[in-house]
Amino acid sequence: MYKYIIRRILVFIPMLFALTIIVFGLSQLAPGDALTGKSLADPNVDPEVYEQQREALGLNDPIYVQYWRWISSAAQGDFGDSLIFNGRTVAQLIEDRIANTLYLGLFSLAITIIVAIPIGIYSARKPYSLLDYGATGFGFLGLAIPNFFFGLIAIYVLSINLGWFPSQGTLSTPGITGFEAFVDRIHHMVLPGITLGLAGTATYMRYMRSEVLDVLGSDYIRTARAKGMSDSNVLYKHTLRNALIPIITLMGFEIGVLLSGAVITEQVFQYPGLGTLFLSSVVNRDFPVVMAIAMILGVLILVGNLIADILYSIVDPRIRYD
Amino acid sequence: MMKKNWLFVLALVLTFGIVLAACSEGSSGDQPNESEAEGSDEGEDEAASGEPQMGGTLTGAMDTAPAGVFNPIFYEEAYEDNILSFTHESLLSQNKQLEFKPNLAKEWEINEDQTEITLTLEEGVTWHDGEPFTAEDVVYTYKAISSPGYVEAGGIRTDYVVRLQGYEAFNSGETDEFEGVVAEDDHTVTFKFAEPNVTILKDVSFPIIPEHIFGDVPIAEIPEHPATLNAGEVIGTGPFKFTEMLDREQYVLEKNADYWKSEPYLDKIVWRIVEQSVMLGLLENGEIDFIADPNGVPAADYESVAGVEHIELIEQTDFGYQLMGFKVNHRSDADVEAGKLEPENWEANEDMGEQKIRQAMAYAIDRQAIVDNLLYGHGSVINAPIAQQFWAYDKNAVTQYTYDPEKAKSLLDEAGYVDTNDDGFRETPDGEEWVVNLNYPTGNKLREDSAPILQKFLEDVGIKIELRQPKEMTAYVEELTNDNTDWDLYLLGWSLGSGDPDPSGLWGADAAYNYSRWNNEQSETLMQEAMQAPEAFDQAYRKEKYSEWQSVFSEDLPALLLYAQNKIYGFNKRLQGVDPMPYSFINDPEKWWVTE
Amino acid sequence: MQSNTESTLPTEPENLPETNAKKHKSPLQLAFQRFIKNKLAVISVFVLLLIIITCTAAPLFTDQDPVATDLFQIEKSPTDEHILGTNGQGQDNFARLLYGGRISLIVGFSAMFFTLAIGVLLGSIAGYYGGKVDSVIMRAADIMLMLPFLVLVLTIMAIIGEVTIGLFVTIIAITSWPNLTRIIRATYLSLREQEFVLGARAIGASDLRIILKHFIPNAIGPIIVNATLMMATYIIVESGLSFIGFGIPQPTPTWGNMISEAQNIRILRDHPEAWIPPGVAILVTVLAINFIGDGLRDAFDPKSNRR
Repeated sequence: MYKYIIRRILVFIPMLFALTIIVFGLSQLAPGDALTGKSLADPNVDPEVYEQQREALGLNDPIYVQYWRWISSAAQGDFGDSLIFNGRTVAQLIEDRIANTLYLGLFSLAITIIVAIPIGIYSARKPYSLLDYGATGFGFLGLAIPNFFFGLIAIYVLSINLGWFPSQGTLSTPGITGFEAFVDRIHHMVLPGITLGLAGTATYMRYMRSEVLDVLGSDYIRTARAKGMSDSNVLYKHTLRNALIPIITLMGFEIGVLLSGAVITEQVFQYPGLGTLFLSSVVNRDFPVVMAIAMILGVLILVGNLIADILYSIVDPRIRYD
Repeated sequence: MMKKNWLFVLALVLTFGIVLAACSEGSSGDQPNESEAEGSDEGEDEAASGEPQMGGTLTGAMDTAPAGVFNPIFYEEAYEDNILSFTHESLLSQNKQLEFKPNLAKEWEINEDQTEITLTLEEGVTWHDGEPFTAEDVVYTYKAISSPGYVEAGGIRTDYVVRLQGYEAFNSGETDEFEGVVAEDDHTVTFKFAEPNVTILKDVSFPIIPEHIFGDVPIAEIPEHPATLNAGEVIGTGPFKFTEMLDREQYVLEKNADYWKSEPYLDKIVWRIVEQSVMLGLLENGEIDFIADPNGVPAADYESVAGVEHIELIEQTDFGYQLMGFKVNHRSDADVEAGKLEPENWEANEDMGEQKIRQAMAYAIDRQAIVDNLLYGHGSVINAPIAQQFWAYDKNAVTQYTYDPEKAKSLLDEAGYVDTNDDGFRETPDGEEWVVNLNYPTGNKLREDSAPILQKFLEDVGIKIELRQPKEMTAYVEELTNDNTDWDLYLLGWSLGSGDPDPSGLWGADAAYNYSRWNNEQSETLMQEAMQAPEAFDQAYRKEKYSEWQSVFSEDLPALLLYAQNKIYGFNKRLQGVDPMPYSFINDPEKWWVTE
Repeated sequence: MQSNTESTLPTEPENLPETNAKKHKSPLQLAFQRFIKNKLAVISVFVLLLIIITCTAAPLFTDQDPVATDLFQIEKSPTDEHILGTNGQGQDNFARLLYGGRISLIVGFSAMFFTLAIGVLLGSIAGYYGGKVDSVIMRAADIMLMLPFLVLVLTIMAIIGEVTIGLFVTIIAITSWPNLTRIIRATYLSLREQEFVLGARAIGASDLRIILKHFIPNAIGPIIVNATLMMATYIIVESGLSFIGFGIPQPTPTWGNMISEAQNIRILRDHPEAWIPPGVAILVTVLAINFIGDGLRDAFDPKSNRR
C-alpha cells in the first residue's frame, strides 16, 4: 500500500512538469501580455514606460529563458511576482484565496452529501414513490440549469427581494472574529454553496439511488433478508457500505468539476477565491498567477484521485494495491 | 410511465412558477420599501434644510476590486483611485471649471517664463499618524517618481516629472542631487522646469506621499511595503483614513478627526465589491448607498432607478469618448518588427486613406440616434476629441456631420465608389469588390452593441461591411498596435484626464496611441503651437489654436467620434452634501453627511 | 470517417456471417427494442426532434432576421411584430430564440461529434495496440485531466482572444476527449483477449477490420451514452462561458448568450420574455437529451437500473 502511494506520487512529478510546459507554452502563444492591456487605461502614460517595464520584467526574453527562470525558482517554491497586482507575490495572492475556495468547495460538498445520500437511499427504498419522482425530477433539473443562471435567480429572489442571505463576498464586516465570523461566513456561503453543489447533488442522488437499487437486488442481500434480517439492518450493514464505494470514487474525481464550477459561481457571487483570481489573471495575462493556479489545481486533482483510490481500497478490502 | 412524465411537466411548471411568482412578488415587494423610503424621505427633507449631523456609515459599491496598491505613485487603476481620493491629497486641485485651485498649497507664484513655480503650503496639516506635513514630503514624492528604478518597479507616472530640471541626470543615476524640486523652508517648495512649461499647474498637482514613512525605503521595495499594501498602514493627509480591509470584498475608510480643513461628518465609508448585475438591486434595497466611478449607473437602467423614491441620480458629461477609427495609414512590416513609429515610412491605406470616404461614412451614421436609443439619451455627440468640459472645446469650429445619407452617397459617388454590378453594394473605382472590415473588442457592452448598428448604417449607403469577430481586449490592442494588417475600421474608447486638453498624446503623428496612424501636417503644427512657450502661456491663444485644430481634425477625420457617454452617479437620498466635480464623484467628502 | 470505411466493406465475403447473425438480433437491435419500451426516453426523442425541426425551419416561423439590429427598437416589450420583444441591440428575441437554437444545437452536436471522433480514434489505438502507443496516449490524457475542464477551456480561449463557432467546437473537443478515450480503451482491454477477437486475428483479419467489426460494436453502448450526455453538457457549458464573456459572441445568437444578457436586475424583472424562453429551451433540450441518454444506458446495459 505505502509502496503504491509512493509510486503514485513519483508519477505525479513528471506529469506536473509536463503541465507546466503546456501552460507556459500556451501563455507564450497568446497575443499581447500583461502590460498590453494596462496600456489603454491612461493615455497620459507614455507607452515607452511599459516597454521599459517589459524589459525589466524579462518579458522580452526568449521563451526558453523565461521558462527556465520560472521553473528554477518554482522548483524552490518561489512562484514570482504578479504582473498585474503590482507589489504582490503570487504566493501571497493565492494564499489569500485558496482557503476561501476550499471552504466553499467543502461546504458545497457537505450540502451535496447531506442532501443527496439520504434522498438517494430513500428513493431506492421506495422507488416510484412521489418523493422518488420529485427527487429524480429535481436531479434532472439540477443538471439542466446553467449554474450562473440559477445563482442569479437565487440572488434576485432570496437575497435582494427576501433578504434572507447575503449575495456577495465572504463576510459582512471585516474584523469580526471567532464564532460570529464563523456563522457569518457560513451564512455567506449558503447561496454560492448551493449553486456550486447543484449539479453535484443531482449526480450523487442518481448514483446513490441506482447503487442502492443494485445492491438491494443482489443475491446476498436477498439471502440476508431471507434469513430474517431486519430491513434497516440490511440497509446499514450491507447495502450502504457497498453502495458508498462508487460515491467515494466519484468524489475524488468530482474535485475537478467543483473547481470548474467555482470559476463561474465565484464570479456570480463576487466570492474572492481561486476561481475569480484565475479568471481575472487569464484575462489580464497575469501568467505567473495562471501558472501557479494551474499547478495547484493539478496537484489538487491528482491528490483527489489518489485519495479516492485509497479510500476505495479501505471501504472495499477486496481491492488491493501493491 | 405517462404519469412520470406529467410529474416532470409539473415540476417544470412549479420551478418556473416559483421564479415568476418571485419576480412579481419582487415588484410588489418593493412597494413597502418605497413607501418606507418615502416616509424617511420627508424626514430627510426636514433634515436637509437643517444642520448636517455627525456620525453614520456610508456604503459605496464598485464592480471590481482594486489591485491593492494603495500608493499614489504606484497605483494604476480607477478602483484604487476610489480609495486614494479619500486618503491622499495634492498641492492643487481643480474646480468645476477645471481651473487649478489651492489645496495643500494655499498660494503659488510662477516666474515670468514659466520655468519656476514656488508654492506656499498650508501649515498645521498632519499626516494620519500625527506627523506634520512639510515641504520635504513634496520634494520626496517628486524625487521618488524621478528616481532610477521607478519605472522598473512598476511606476507609470513619469509624465509628472519628465519636464523637471535635472530629471535626466537624476533618473540615470548620474547624480544624487535633484534640482527639480527644492524645499525653501518647511512650508515653501519650488519646482524648476528645464524649459518654459505650459502645463505647470497640472505638473505640480500630484498626490503627496509621506517622506517619514518611505524616505528610507529603496524605490524598488515601495510597492511591497506595508504602507503601500496594508489597511491601517497607508498614510495620507486626506479626510479619511484607510483602516481596514477584507481583500477583494470590503475596504473601510474611517474619518480623520484631525483633518486640516474640517472634521468630517461621517464616521465611516465602506467600499464593497459587488457584481455588476446585482449592484442596482442592492442600491434599491438600501444595502449600498452609492454607485459612482468608474462605471456608475448604466444608461439603460436610468429610468428604472430614477423611479425609485429613495435614490437620487446625478448625471454629468464624462471625459471619455468612443470612436470609430479609420486606419488612415499602415506601418510597414519592417517598422512593426522594429517597433518604430516613423510617419514618413507609412503607407496610405487603400480606400480608408481617402478623406471623402471617411467623411461619407461620418454622414452615413446617425450618431444622434445612437445616443438617443443605445444610450437612452444619456450622452452627447461630439466631433473632435477634446472633452466638452474643457475651455479648449469649441463646438462651432468643427464640421458637424449631421446624419445625411444622401450626402454620404454623393460623396461616395464623387470619390468614384459606385455600384457597378447592381448587387446593392458599391465597388471601388477600379471596379473591384469593395469590402470594408470593422473590428471591435469585447469588454464594453454598449460598444459591442454598437458594432452591428454601425454596420447597418454603412450598408444602407452601399458600403459592404465585414463585421469581424470581436476580440478580447489584450489580443485586440496587440493587433491594433501592430498595424501591418488589413484593418480598416476599429472601435475604441478613451477616457481622458482632466488636467490639460492637449490631444497630442493620442493624435500626434508619432504618438503610439494614434492608432489611425494619422499624419496631418496642419494638425501637427497646430498642436505644437498650442504648447509652444511663451505664446501658449496665454490660454486664449491656446484656445484659438485648439479651435483650429478641432476644425482640422473634424475635416480630415482620422476617427469618427461616436458618442461621449454621460456619467450617472446614483446614491441614496440619506446621503447629503454631495457635490461632484466634473472629473470625480468624490469631492470634499468631509462635508458628506447622512440623515439617520 | 467511420461510415466511409464501412461503406467500402460490404463487397467482402466475410460480410455473410454478419447478415446471418442479424437473425439472432444484433446488440444494437436488442438495445433498440429495449429503448422504445422506455416511454420517457421516446417522448424525449420526439421533444428533441420537435425542437430541432422548429429551429431548423426557423424561417417558416418568423420573418425577422436574428442578427438585424434596429436602433429604434431597443429592449422593447412584445408587440405583434416582435412577439418576444427585442434585445439591447434591437434584435428580435423570437428570431434569436429559433436561430439561436440552431447554433446551440449545432455547437452541442458538432462538439460532441468532434470529441467522439478524437476519443474513439485515440481510445481505439490505445486499447487495441497497447504498449508504447497506449502509454503515450494515456499519459497525454492524464495530463489533460489534471486541469479542470473549464479552466483548460478558459485558458485556451483567453489566449486565442477570439471565439468563433469553429474555434469553440475545436477547443471543446481537444479538451474533453480524455474521458471518452479512457472509457473506450477500458472496454477494448476487456475485449482484447476474448475468443472471437483472437479468432478474427487468427484468420488474418486486418486491424482496422477487427476494430470496426468487433470492437466498436461492442463499445457502442458506452460511446452513444457518453455522446448524448456530452452534448447536453456542452450546451450548458456554452451558456456558462457566455456569462463570463467567453461564449460565442454577439451578434451570433445562441441560447447561452441570450440568457446571459439577462445578468441584470432590470431585464430579470422587467423583461421576463427575454430570458424565460431561452432558459426553458435550454432546460427542455438538456432534459430531453439526458432522458435519451438514460434510456440508451438502460437499453445497452440491461443490468443497470434506471439512474
